[in-house]
Amino acid sequence: MDRSDEALADDAAAGNRAALAVLLERHYDRIHRFAWRWAGSRAEAEDIAQDVCVKVAVAIRAFRGEAQFTTWLYRITFTTAADRARARQRILTFAPSEMMQLADAAVPACQEDAVIGAELWAAVRALPDQQRAAVMFVYGEDLSHQEAAVLMGCTEKTVSWHLHEARRRLKIKLEAAG
Amino acid sequence: MTNSDLEKLKSLPVPKPGGGARERAIEAALVAFEKSAATTQGTAAANRPSSAPHSGTRRSFMSTIKINCPLAACLATAVMAVPVVLYMGPRDAGRNQPEPGSVGRGTELAQLPEPKQTKEKDAPRAQEQRPVAKIELGAQDKSPAVAAAAPLATQTKPSPPVAAMEPATRIAPSAVEKSDRGDSSRTMDRERLSAEFKAAPASPSATASSSSLLNALGKAEASKPDANAQEFSRNSRKMTEQLAPGLAGRVAGYAPTARPEPVIAAPQEYRDQHEAFSENPVKQVASDPVSTFSLDVDTASYAFVRRALNAGSLPPKDAVRVEELINYFPYDYATPEAAALPFQPSITITPAPWNAARKLVHIGLKGYALRAAERPRANLVFLIDVSGSMASQDRLPLVKNAFRMLVDELQPDDTVGIVTYASGSGIALKPTKIANKSEILSVIDRLGAGGSTAGAKGIEDAYALAEANFDKAGVNRIILATDGDFNVGITDRGQLKGFIERKRDKGIFLSILGVGQGNYNDATMQALAQNGNGTAAYVDTLNEARKLLVEEASSTLFTIAKDVKIQVEFNPAVVSEYRLIGYETRALKREDFNNDNVDAGDVGSGHTVTAIYEITPVGQPPSADPLRYATPDKAEQPGPSRAAPSTPEYGFFKLRYKLPNEDASKLLSLPLTTAQEKRTLDTASDDVRFSVAVAGFGQLLRGSPLVAGKYSYDDVVALAQSAKGADPFGYRAEFINLARLAKSAAK
Repeated sequence: MDRSDEALADDAAAGNRAALAVLLERHYDRIHRFAWRWAGSRAEAEDIAQDVCVKVAVAIRAFRGEAQFTTWLYRITFTTAADRARARQRILTFAPSEMMQLADAAVPACQEDAVIGAELWAAVRALPDQQRAAVMFVYGEDLSHQEAAVLMGCTEKTVSWHLHEARRRLKIKLEAAG
Repeated sequence: MTNSDLEKLKSLPVPKPGGGARERAIEAALVAFEKSAATTQGTAAANRPSSAPHSGTRRSFMSTIKINCPLAACLATAVMAVPVVLYMGPRDAGRNQPEPGSVGRGTELAQLPEPKQTKEKDAPRAQEQRPVAKIELGAQDKSPAVAAAAPLATQTKPSPPVAAMEPATRIAPSAVEKSDRGDSSRTMDRERLSAEFKAAPASPSATASSSSLLNALGKAEASKPDANAQEFSRNSRKMTEQLAPGLAGRVAGYAPTARPEPVIAAPQEYRDQHEAFSENPVKQVASDPVSTFSLDVDTASYAFVRRALNAGSLPPKDAVRVEELINYFPYDYATPEAAALPFQPSITITPAPWNAARKLVHIGLKGYALRAAERPRANLVFLIDVSGSMASQDRLPLVKNAFRMLVDELQPDDTVGIVTYASGSGIALKPTKIANKSEILSVIDRLGAGGSTAGAKGIEDAYALAEANFDKAGVNRIILATDGDFNVGITDRGQLKGFIERKRDKGIFLSILGVGQGNYNDATMQALAQNGNGTAAYVDTLNEARKLLVEEASSTLFTIAKDVKIQVEFNPAVVSEYRLIGYETRALKREDFNNDNVDAGDVGSGHTVTAIYEITPVGQPPSADPLRYATPDKAEQPGPSRAAPSTPEYGFFKLRYKLPNEDASKLLSLPLTTAQEKRTLDTASDDVRFSVAVAGFGQLLRGSPLVAGKYSYDDVVALAQSAKGADPFGYRAEFINLARLAKSAAK
């Protein structure tokens, strides 16, 4: 019964709906966990996770098994999460007048959830994107530097550098916060 | 922060998804899966379902497709290509050092021959079918921001992210090149570039240009008042909305979390280093009648402030330099007649809007604008930071675009050399005449980011290159583009400054183009540019780069006067107190004014510079008690102003400057008299009123106690609105928006 992700993905690619359902069931929590760590809000994480599921469903047909399924999935999750953040920034920069109205209306809809360790995650989220991604992959998801490098499209050395920078910044920030 | 601190991240609890979220997501996915099964390859994207049923604002993807068939085709193929693209991730590790012939990548892509062909076919078609954009390109040839907006409007958001980046980045290069004049070498560049982008579609650097262009789109919308542009703007907005359904809904959630407490700026956003300074104090004319300062034409602070406000937070206090905010805007002051007498001061005295008992002395200067024929030849060296930190969104890609635009502005006889620095430093391009423009542009296009920063070594190389090509009669200038940190090599700021100063004395100047936010080292940049007779400008959008390098190219590059200092002596019989607004970091000692060895700011061709004093006339309640033992007669006063003037004088204005090739300074002076006084602020010119509004804005942002409670952002908006004038580039309109943003951010 416990077939490998790759075997299921192959079946799904061939059009097997049930295989896809098993895959998504199996990995939904992982997707959601990553999304929450990235966004810090449950509602946002659910949105991201749903987007990811839909993307997986559409793209799985072309899954050729060249990469591990989880790597592939992380990549989609990561780009989806990062893209949403970017999309927000974009809107903000390109419509100042609309921003005004929104700022005036000011409903804190994207409140970060209050959980244990929230400050640490909040500090991680405040890092520049690449450093944030490196910390999330290596420390959050327990991937190796090499896996993170694959996902981020850079070299292992660059991942190590991002982590080093991230630790430096987190230190400054958390010390400043007392 | 150690490993073990971070190790615990993975064990920290994560909230469980809400009830039904998992089921909804999987259900949506399965529906999507079945729909995509029911269609053939070519139309897969058209059936991609709306992915968030709960999001009411999201329109169906179908409606997007109807308005843009080529895009749909692009997306369809891109969606099909997703797995291949993902699989290529590990292999495009080397993307940061793109080689001209990325043949290997091209062949990998060829694994999917069908989609690739379609893409090639569709790209040109997509361009042809954008008449609105084309017209705009012709009409606004000077405005790459608008040009940039066009392709983006059609290329924004709707596809899965991996796929979305693909078409957007493909278009970026052509957008930047303004109207593509059919120059074949450029066309080749673009093809090569798009090949490069194809190879790394999901990399952050590949998306960078598109997002900076999006910023530019924002500017274009905010700043083009004429009807044609607005029409275009509406079209592009509409298309963007259609293409980015759901975004508007999502944005509602953004601003609040980013909003900090009043005055305390969001600290996590600002690792930028700004030099701390406190506001100029109110000085007593009886004891301290002379004010001396160096001119400042930098504008970096304004871009910083704008960026912070656009992100919904107030800028940190020390990032706000009031004079830089004021000097950001072009003013239409009286223009001097000849290069030999490069300045003509315009002086206005008006009541202060924030305090009825105070007046403002407004000093406006416009530098002589060189005519094209008088322009000296330029020997430029671009010194470009290509360290890893430059890879992100708004850095290297923005710099590359900025330099492309600058190259377009130069004369065929000017030369450009390029030095890059990261872990090592290297000459990317030996000084090359603009006549060989294609060669210069292709070198710029090839630049990629990676490695740590050794700024000092790069600076040495750049100076060596500029020296080798030194033109005694021309302008020799290094333009350093960086996000800030010089963390390897000569890191000692003093040593670096000394080096730059020595080179300045040899005739090679330094200007700085700052980009990025996060670790931008404002203080170092400012100090370096000041020591190198240059300007430090902070560029956060392509539009800003255009302002600096295209509209103001000649003032950025060609100095008409150097070491420009101002000294004002106030008349104790008329003025009891004064305060210089801004210029805190530019104060000089009184004796420095006549000392030609003391370095001061430089003014470029056509630059406008404004200084505003707040004065307390005698008879109005002063802010400090008068001295009991000092009598005005005994106050130290040099000769000229002692002679009783026919009209009452507020004070005496003196300006010292050196012509670019001279070492002895010249003096220009004139009295500040009641003849220049306006009874009310309303009767002053638009330029005066607008700059006063900006001065008020800057002081509010700095939390100045001297205006607090007496002046508000609403007053700023009202005054600036009334003084908007023609505002051909929309800078003033943008300012008014910023003031509104500041108001809500300060709440």
